[in-house]
Amino acid sequence: MLSVLIWVPLVGAILISLLPDKPATSLARPVALTVALGLLVWTTVLGVQFDPGQPGMQFTEYLVWIETIGLNYHLGVDGLSLPLLCLNALLTVIAIWSSDRTILRPRFYYALILLLNVGVSGAFLAQDLLLFFLFYELELIPLYFLIIIWGGPQRGYAATKFLIYTAISGALILASFLGVVWLSGVSSFDYEPLRSQTLPLGAQTILLIGLLLGFGIKIPFFPLHTWLPDAHVEASTPVSVLLAGVLLKVGTYGLLRFGVGLFLDAWVYLAPWLAGWAAVSALYGASCAIAQQDMKKVVAYSSIAHMAFILLGASATTRLSLLATVCQMVSHGLISALLFLLVGVVAKKTGSRDVNYLRGLLNPEKGLPLIGSLMILGVMAGAGIPGMVGFVAEFLIFRGSFPIFPVQTLLCMVGTGLTAVYFLLMINRVFFGRLPVELANLPRVQWGDRLPSVALALLIIALGIQPNWLIRWSEPQIATLVTDYGQGKALRESLPIAAVLNAPNVPVAVPPSVLPVAPIEN
Amino acid sequence: MVSTRKLGSSKHPLAEYVYRLESGNALLPDSPENVVEVVGILKSYGVVLDAYSRNLIYTSEHQFLVLFPFFKYFNGDVSWARLVRHWMHDRINFEYAEYCMRTMLWHGGGGLDGYLDSPEFTALARTVIQAKIKGNVLLQSLDRLFPDFLLEQVRQYTYYSGLGQFWRVMSDMFLSLSDRYDQGEIQSIPAVVQHILNGLVEAANQPITYHVKVDNQTYPIIPESAGLTFLSDTAVPYVEAVFFRGTPFPGTVSYNAQANQIPFDQSDFTYGALYADPLPIGGSGIPPTQLMQDMSHYLPEYLHEVYRRGLREEDDLRVKICQSFQKSMFCVTTAAILGLMPHPADTTNPEEQRANRTYLEKWMDRLVPSQLTVIQDS
Repeated sequence: MLSVLIWVPLVGAILISLLPDKPATSLARPVALTVALGLLVWTTVLGVQFDPGQPGMQFTEYLVWIETIGLNYHLGVDGLSLPLLCLNALLTVIAIWSSDRTILRPRFYYALILLLNVGVSGAFLAQDLLLFFLFYELELIPLYFLIIIWGGPQRGYAATKFLIYTAISGALILASFLGVVWLSGVSSFDYEPLRSQTLPLGAQTILLIGLLLGFGIKIPFFPLHTWLPDAHVEASTPVSVLLAGVLLKVGTYGLLRFGVGLFLDAWVYLAPWLAGWAAVSALYGASCAIAQQDMKKVVAYSSIAHMAFILLGASATTRLSLLATVCQMVSHGLISALLFLLVGVVAKKTGSRDVNYLRGLLNPEKGLPLIGSLMILGVMAGAGIPGMVGFVAEFLIFRGSFPIFPVQTLLCMVGTGLTAVYFLLMINRVFFGRLPVELANLPRVQWGDRLPSVALALLIIALGIQPNWLIRWSEPQIATLVTDYGQGKALRESLPIAAVLNAPNVPVAVPPSVLPVAPIEN
Repeated sequence: MVSTRKLGSSKHPLAEYVYRLESGNALLPDSPENVVEVVGILKSYGVVLDAYSRNLIYTSEHQFLVLFPFFKYFNGDVSWARLVRHWMHDRINFEYAEYCMRTMLWHGGGGLDGYLDSPEFTALARTVIQAKIKGNVLLQSLDRLFPDFLLEQVRQYTYYSGLGQFWRVMSDMFLSLSDRYDQGEIQSIPAVVQHILNGLVEAANQPITYHVKVDNQTYPIIPESAGLTFLSDTAVPYVEAVFFRGTPFPGTVSYNAQANQIPFDQSDFTYGALYADPLPIGGSGIPPTQLMQDMSHYLPEYLHEVYRRGLREEDDLRVKICQSFQKSMFCVTTAAILGLMPHPADTTNPEEQRANRTYLEKWMDRLVPSQLTVIQDS
């Protein structure tokens, strides 16, 4: 079942690239859209058949590939990867739908989008470290071409920077993967056997730092983030949607799956520093966003701030905070995709993203009233206003992390507060006030432009009102991610939470779900 | 045509428009596009004014001193089907007509305003009030407690009637303009202005009267003997109140009264139709939006087609209507200015020319902050 998610878009990409020259312009898009819709339906079928109560991987597929190097074609899906697969399928449809109908070299473009989908799906499904790495690297190639061919004026610089950063990221991840396999003495890169390795804490820490830096570049965290604003600014809207919506999630997914999953002891050991890193990254991203004059850069820096919350939740390693990281990944995927889509529409209609130039776009007759209203909704969701999925994710993260890392959590909460500051500054400048004469004759927004944004907005509200639709897939399964291996028990006793929970006056407000998954022994 | 060389150049910032008027031309440039816009919009305005006029007169005559006139917008035709259509907003926005009426009442001016403060009016109004409240304990009590309340209500009904009669004339004038355009008789902006000017002159001395029937007996409130006439007692105050002064209605522009952003003196108000910024049209609760909405239902096809060809097609229909409406109002203003000019525009007498120049420059003083320069290029 899972192979369909990899091979169908791959075949689709090949098919599109082989389309004859003449009708390519008219056929590439419908073919790509059909494939993407088919994948969305197939992912939905997977979701329906998925049993959230059953721990561990489901629908696994195993095939020995290159035995000599221990590489196996091993796929599986669990509560961590399923929501991200759904997100990938949905955003691929939206990205194809939002692509310019008159785009140059359509065969290559749509083939690359489907290849990107292959890379991301493969990374989420791979249960073999080397296989994950292959897919992780695979997605780099289409994204590089998507930026450098269809990007803005500085696309060469942005694409090359992205390539260099991601290549370093890949090298660090590969080094950590090779290190864990060699040091553990296992014969394959299979994920599950590697989880029971008992490497010394020092070795684990070194390998984890490699992963943290590798995935930290991809996510990205401060100060490894500098490629992201450039890439977003130069990328076209559909590519930005995919980049913010799912590609960054490959980094956070890798951090949870491999950082927490393989090196739990070292993770717990480094957790206070990681939480501090999250707080610094969140505040830095938010502060930079306040200073930006380009709408796309505001959203890009907000991504840096919001992705840091995932690190905070992961570093707390409580059942609730880990569940919250999954929510935050989906929530950020939906919200950032919505915001990038809307910024794209604004740029397409006005020819600018400059907050100092744009004004009064909420004008009901001459402006972009629906786009402006959706932008306000997206901004509210990003700022964690109740009733939308952003609130659910951020509340769960802060609720789950606060008992463990109160100071870092409070600092991240300040970052959330700053979200309202930079987004409202942007909204106030761009959408309120009197529409200037030079913007008074904007082309009308077609329903085709509005539809993806409306769909995302509805989903953001639906998951905000009924968060159970989101967490039910992950809640029973997330615990298995941090099943205690190695020296975790002893290490956890050194954490602040141990003192809190062992004290006679343990606050009753802390539900059992907040406790670290592994029991703390006195 | 007046020789400006003989008179010397005007130093006024809007001197260009002074010369235009002196030479008998209009404030709006003459172009085929402007003719289509102005005539088309005045046709739809004529249809809407007809409805407004009927309702204002109906209210003044049949809802007289009805304290809770729930069905005043129904013109006596109350049925479930009509009520449902009303609730579904499939109707004319008569609220806009009342907004204009209240604006006129508030700004006053002209003979009608003076008459309403005269003892003659008070005596007539008192008579009809006594007839109306006879046997009505509630109204009698109200009249006793607040003796001026019903009197003030009658003043307002008088304005209902006055504006209704004014718009009756204007509606017919605009519809006949449209008919003449359809027959090929109107082909330029000066011809439009001349048609309006002729209409105003023709109706100038038409008497404005107001009678109310109570218990099958007719009571005069403005008898013909009051000497109120169309041009000086309704048209001029209307132009002053609605075209020039207006009211700083919430929603159109943000005003901070505490920061003295609203002039202390009513006569300094510049919130009328000639000053309105068309772009904010469409915000909730703005009266001009109601007018644009009403006009949008009655656009002639040739004008609707012009609007549809725009970049935003029908998305900014009401803004386009507002812009065209503003152009047409500058034509009406031109007609009013030319009609009230102290001497004929083509006079050769230097003294008369000087008087005309002074008169026109005074008008231009008022038009400096208006949309006059904006409509030249749009």
